[in-house]
Amino acid sequence: MLRFILQRLAVLIPTFIGITLTAFIFIHLIPGDPIEVMAGERGVSPEKYAELLHAFGLDQPLWKQYLDYIWQLLHGDLGKSFVTKQPVIEEFFKLFPATIELSLSALIFAIVLGIPAGIIAAVKRGSIFDHSLMTLSLTGFSMPMFWWALLLIVTFSGTLGWTPVSGRISVMYFFDNVTGFLLIDSWLSGQPGAFKSAVSHLILPTIALGTIPLATFARQTRSAMLETMGEDFIKTARAKGLSPFRVTVLHAFRNALIPIITVIGLQVGVLLGGAILTETIFSWPGIGKWMVDSIFRRDYAVVQGGLILIATMVITVNLTVDILYGLIDPRIRKKGH
Amino acid sequence: MSIQSSNDNDEKIQSALMAVLSSFWHEFKANRGALYGLIFISILAFVAIFADLVAPYSPIEQYRDFLKLPPIWVDGGNWDFLLGTDALGRDQLSRIIHGSRYSFYIGFIVIFFCLTIGIFLGLVAAFNKGYVDTFIMRAMDIILAFPSLLMALALVAILGPSLENAMIAIAVVYIPHFVRLTRAQALSELGKDYVSSSKTMGASSTRLMFINVLPNCMAPLIVQATMSFSSAILDAAALGFLGMGAQPPTPEWGTMLADSRQYITSDPWLMGIPGLFILVTVLSINLVGDGLRDALDPKMKSNK
Repeated sequence: MLRFILQRLAVLIPTFIGITLTAFIFIHLIPGDPIEVMAGERGVSPEKYAELLHAFGLDQPLWKQYLDYIWQLLHGDLGKSFVTKQPVIEEFFKLFPATIELSLSALIFAIVLGIPAGIIAAVKRGSIFDHSLMTLSLTGFSMPMFWWALLLIVTFSGTLGWTPVSGRISVMYFFDNVTGFLLIDSWLSGQPGAFKSAVSHLILPTIALGTIPLATFARQTRSAMLETMGEDFIKTARAKGLSPFRVTVLHAFRNALIPIITVIGLQVGVLLGGAILTETIFSWPGIGKWMVDSIFRRDYAVVQGGLILIATMVITVNLTVDILYGLIDPRIRKKGH
Repeated sequence: MSIQSSNDNDEKIQSALMAVLSSFWHEFKANRGALYGLIFISILAFVAIFADLVAPYSPIEQYRDFLKLPPIWVDGGNWDFLLGTDALGRDQLSRIIHGSRYSFYIGFIVIFFCLTIGIFLGLVAAFNKGYVDTFIMRAMDIILAFPSLLMALALVAILGPSLENAMIAIAVVYIPHFVRLTRAQALSELGKDYVSSSKTMGASSTRLMFINVLPNCMAPLIVQATMSFSSAILDAAALGFLGMGAQPPTPEWGTMLADSRQYITSDPWLMGIPGLFILVTVLSINLVGDGLRDALDPKMKSNK
């Protein structure tokens, strides 16, 4: 098992180097002069320009800049934002909880609704429920997410006035930032209404971000269930006179779990990508909105650092899923591909 | 005599082909959703091709006396503008009709790049186990590590915001899926007897790649291409919505949506109509994709 994990880790190293190289090259290909971006509209004198160029190491040859960058990266330093002058890594970890809160909430929403719906559709295969669920899930899968988010805002915030339009919490609440997760912090603060405000801000972004994963989970659960339910051990279980609930949940569902877990693992990248649109539309102060704003502001240091951090997160999750497989299914471990 | 027999052979091949096609069509037709999807896409394709003839007005002509007119089924609608007009007085219906062209344009260009580059790299990787294979597959892993929309956004930032650059960015992001799929398919074909016998007969590796192996890898690739067609439309619309895709006054559906964003509460149909067209188009293509999968490859059948 240890050998299997080490093998997977070894593959990760060139991928990680590739990621840093890609992000680095990207930033240097973006047209526009970073120093002028930093200087803003007032411009900058030639002496100051040369000084800044030197201060940011931009007067060095590219390969030297890259090696310096990697060296700093290995020490946990991703440079400073050109705009806010804050260290990129600090900004990232300040905004990260907001994205995690939203993504987890969307993931839970999708799992809680999608998996049971998929199981029921598989059990009642060919019924009206099955057909409507499959039609609905394909619709959800085809939904332009930004449009769906706007529709939700128009309906629930505009017409019905049930939920706030944007942000994470009403501006009237102030409390200590303990965990960065507003649901927890507002609960801890004990202020009346704060927790409720945080929840009501979270509802629409959760639905918007969770819809595509929800549709995916429902479809995948259904097909995984149908596959296992056709197998012999299910017939045996039925023949033994077990209750339909036991057969479905304890026997069929447990064996359908592997493909379902794969799909959940794959959704992490989808959620992080979806966060870009969702956070932008709902003004949710997370990583996605930060990246979009930085791209528009030409804040190269942030774009570069953010790309590396996000991609590293994705490959780490993929590695975890891989290792989980190895644990669940020895056949995968043995194959050692 | 020999001419006679080759004619016979041709006929046999032809009738076999017809049998395959008709069984394919039979399977496809059985899927009601796929059929409806195909009908909608055909109508849309017709409208896109003849947009200049079908559209009542020019998509960029501004009728200053008719600003933000609602569609005909809402109070205050005007029969001259069936789907109403936008904030600049442009006819929505004409913009939607002309916009359908962009959707097909985006879809076709993206899958063209994905198929050509993806198949080429996938076959090269499958046929050159070792350094070449490892290098290609690691490069694909790297692209896949970045969330696709983020990668596309960064690429468009480098190339400059335009519809063409958005399409290139989307193609780059999708290519790894095609490479992986082609490689996996080709590897499973490579072990089969017909490939070894071709090899023994002295077939060159180019011939093996493109004449022998590739045709047997096509079924899943066609399904993947259909699904990528619809995702490309969605992603291009998302980039347009973020201001990184088609630029105004192009009547691309995502850009139209972005333009109407400030009127979402006062004039919701301005964003409702283009969004609905994106949804129905993407849904139709996905339905066709489902139908193709069931008809082309029984192994991948979605347990219908």
